[in-house]
Amino acid sequence: MALGLIGPAVFFGPRISSGAPFPQFFFAQLKYRGGEWDPNPFFPEAIIEELELRTSVNAFKERRIITPSGPELFFCPFVYMAGRYEFDPFTAQEREILRRFLSYGGFLLAEDTVGAKGFGFDHAFRRELREIFPNESLSKLPLDHSVYQSFYLIKTHGGRQKINSYLEGISVGKWTPVIYCQNDLAGAWSRDRYGKWVHECVPGGDLQRKAAFKMGINIIVYALTADYKKDLVHHPFIKGRKN
Amino acid sequence: MSANTITLAPALPLWLIAVLFCLGLVLVFVQYNAIRSKISREKALIVSLLRLGTIFLLVAFALNPSLTTRKTQRIPPSVAVILDTSESMGQPGGGRSARLDEARTLLTAGERPLLEALREKFEVNLFSLADSLKPLGDKELAGLKAHGGKGDIAGALETLGGKNDAAILLSDGNLRESLLLDRRLPTITVPLGSPATYRDLLIKSVKAPSLAFKGREIVIDFIIKNYGYTGLTLPVLLEDQDKQLAKKIIQLRDSPGEVGVTLSFVPDKAGRQNVSISVPGQEGESILANNRIDLSIQVLRDKIRVLMVSGSPSMNYRLIRAALLSDPSIDLLSFVFLRTPSDILNVPKREQSLIPFPVETLFTKELTGFDLLVFDNFNYSLYLRPDYLEHVRDFIKEGGGFAMVGGPFVYHEGRLGLSPIGDILPFRFVEKEFYRRSSPVRVRMTREGAGHPLLRIFDDFQQHGEKEPDFWKDLAPLDGINLTEAKRPATVLLESAEGLPWPILTISEYGKGRILFLTTDYAWKWYMGLVAGGKGNQPFFRLVHRMIRWLGKDPNLETLQIILPETANLPGREIDVKIRTVGEAAFKPSGPAVAFSVFDPGGGRIESKLKSTDQPGENVLSFTPPRKGVYRIKAETTSGQREETVIVSGVFADLDAAPDHERLKKIARSTGGRFVTGGVDLSGEIEARLREKEKQFVEETLLPIWATPVVMVLVLSLLSTEWYFRRRWGLV
Repeated sequence: MALGLIGPAVFFGPRISSGAPFPQFFFAQLKYRGGEWDPNPFFPEAIIEELELRTSVNAFKERRIITPSGPELFFCPFVYMAGRYEFDPFTAQEREILRRFLSYGGFLLAEDTVGAKGFGFDHAFRRELREIFPNESLSKLPLDHSVYQSFYLIKTHGGRQKINSYLEGISVGKWTPVIYCQNDLAGAWSRDRYGKWVHECVPGGDLQRKAAFKMGINIIVYALTADYKKDLVHHPFIKGRKN
Repeated sequence: MSANTITLAPALPLWLIAVLFCLGLVLVFVQYNAIRSKISREKALIVSLLRLGTIFLLVAFALNPSLTTRKTQRIPPSVAVILDTSESMGQPGGGRSARLDEARTLLTAGERPLLEALREKFEVNLFSLADSLKPLGDKELAGLKAHGGKGDIAGALETLGGKNDAAILLSDGNLRESLLLDRRLPTITVPLGSPATYRDLLIKSVKAPSLAFKGREIVIDFIIKNYGYTGLTLPVLLEDQDKQLAKKIIQLRDSPGEVGVTLSFVPDKAGRQNVSISVPGQEGESILANNRIDLSIQVLRDKIRVLMVSGSPSMNYRLIRAALLSDPSIDLLSFVFLRTPSDILNVPKREQSLIPFPVETLFTKELTGFDLLVFDNFNYSLYLRPDYLEHVRDFIKEGGGFAMVGGPFVYHEGRLGLSPIGDILPFRFVEKEFYRRSSPVRVRMTREGAGHPLLRIFDDFQQHGEKEPDFWKDLAPLDGINLTEAKRPATVLLESAEGLPWPILTISEYGKGRILFLTTDYAWKWYMGLVAGGKGNQPFFRLVHRMIRWLGKDPNLETLQIILPETANLPGREIDVKIRTVGEAAFKPSGPAVAFSVFDPGGGRIESKLKSTDQPGENVLSFTPPRKGVYRIKAETTSGQREETVIVSGVFADLDAAPDHERLKKIARSTGGRFVTGGVDLSGEIEARLREKEKQFVEETLLPIWATPVVMVLVLSLLSTEWYFRRRWGLV
């Protein structure tokens, strides 16, 4: 069997004009009422650079700010939501829109950047998910979940802090439209305008940051390929490398 | 026998007539005495006699005498003679001549023809029985031919039951099975043909599916029936054209006897497959045509096997994949290039989930195992060598489907096709700017796209595509499209709605295969836009499914459909084939322009005619096949062309013509009739049976004797003569 990843490294060809209002991949951050909706304002640049360096995903660094009831929500391939504190409840209309978005193909990565279980953002987010998905609840994603093998084979969990050694999520069939993390991945990705990391990663330092980037790439690739890695053709390879 | 009597039917009571008569006599006597004194005795006598005559006449008139004639009439019993004229009657009877000829000879020839003998004593009604019961004249009898299916004897006896007293059935016993027979009509059955000398092998009771699936075994069960051959070992063949698909050796032990046979094969391609089952002809066989049965089986794909290669992870990939996986009839194998050769990996292989792309295996050995190939925003020039692309081209040419989904990674071939598939693609890129990701683009259906089956994604989109334009116009705008122009004869179904009309969905055909190009990597916005609008994801899924089904040549998505008749086709009988045009062309006021041809088994064109029906876009193509075989129908409109084949069976292809005299005995027994063989005087037999049934009646004729104008004239003449003499002799 020949390896397929061959050929010229640089694409030659006629011009591609760009500047579309909705690029193929970008972060759209959900702005909500109350609490603190934007604890890591500089997070996209570094993870997008890493994404473009390691993968074939065609991404844009610009972050978009959206609201739960805004018309653009449905056209965002990856919705990011983070916070430190408790926030105001969504309206019934906002919950209905989010339910429809997440049930029919949308994706949300939510982060509790404080990591306080049962308090602040964690409390409010779980409350809202109960309203949006009354029949589902956040549960730990199993180790063989596609998100842990969508690009890297992940065994360790990174982040600015190390609260959980797992991700949580809500699944609709084989698809997990909501992934929830309390390790502050975006905090580990954040870099200021001078190129310095905004936060230290504790207690693991750079290894923990590196793991956060790997997890970030895996979550993004999962958002764009779903459970592609569960296809039978991948099994022997993944199984062989895990053992 | 006859008898005549005179009867009186007086107009007045008899006593009154007697009184009037006596009064008349008295009056004549008085008159005689009165005129005797005025004229001579002779003259008085004349006048009185004239008056007396008048009185007699009036009395006779009043008595109204009539002559009654009585005649006894005989009614001959009615006999129905039923002549079986079904196909089996064309087979040899006891001698060399056909069974029908033997029956004809019995009826009309010889020293004392049966019909003539019967007509001397009975009222004879002659009928023919095959597909239906028909009255038969003597002149028609001579030209009668064995033709048509087995006769319904139960129906025939029921029809004739009330009107006839007995029936004579001349048949070989090849009649439709009947449980209940009308007992009102005793039927004398006259057997034709000889079961003892009949020899034939035939294939019957064939159980084969009309629909089957590619790659799945097709099992055909049937029976080989044997008359007159024992101890033979024969091969039974299942063939496709001249290629042998299966074979089984059978042994014939009993005669008559049956051997059940099962043959099977696995179709390796989709489409209509014409196969035949045959058993070799034997010496002395009555019918060779029934040694072979032709079958037409529509082979479908059970699963449409799709190989999808994506250039990068994307929403487009995820949602198209979701659409493909939502259809259980689609078997998907997808590969996503998670990294390009220019991307740098920072971890050892054991920490990656990436797998090598099995390009050689897929594009040399395995490609033909798929039905469809999808390149999604994929720069194939980076990964596929020219010889792999040649395989792709051959794959399409041989009937595979090929879809390209656009995006910035799609390989730009320039104006000239540089790769082996460049020339067969239905589009070319515009030179300078091949992908535009700037202002959002809404789409609209083109003229060709309106009503095209591929775009009819809602069942309620009916005539004239009244709702489709709104649906496509309301879809979310696309943020990126490849700028292309369609090559002839490709068809653009969707195009950009504003500015220059850039093709969005283009289709074409190459060889036996089909090609489709969706020029955007933003079709996922259609999906999410529909979800945002509360319309759910089904319209998008249906669009993807219909693209796949169109590429896979689903007959329901053809713009031109040929619908074959469900009944058996026979030589010499007109065959009607429906030709249906779906889409815009169907609604043209002049109807769709359809070019059509019918080719006989030898490839020669035969006469056919096309008639339009009251259904929009529907025509009926009629032709009469001169002989058995596989006929090819070719129809073509501006929107496409289709070919179908029609199997015309031989006249005797399924004919079991073995004489069945047991059935005739059963009919005779059930109706209270008799099974008679040669040498029996049929006329005498009938007469003996119907003697009691002979009926007679007395015909009575009443002739009035005096109730005529002559009597009145006579009365007036007597009175006038009397008046004349009276005047002459001076009495008035």
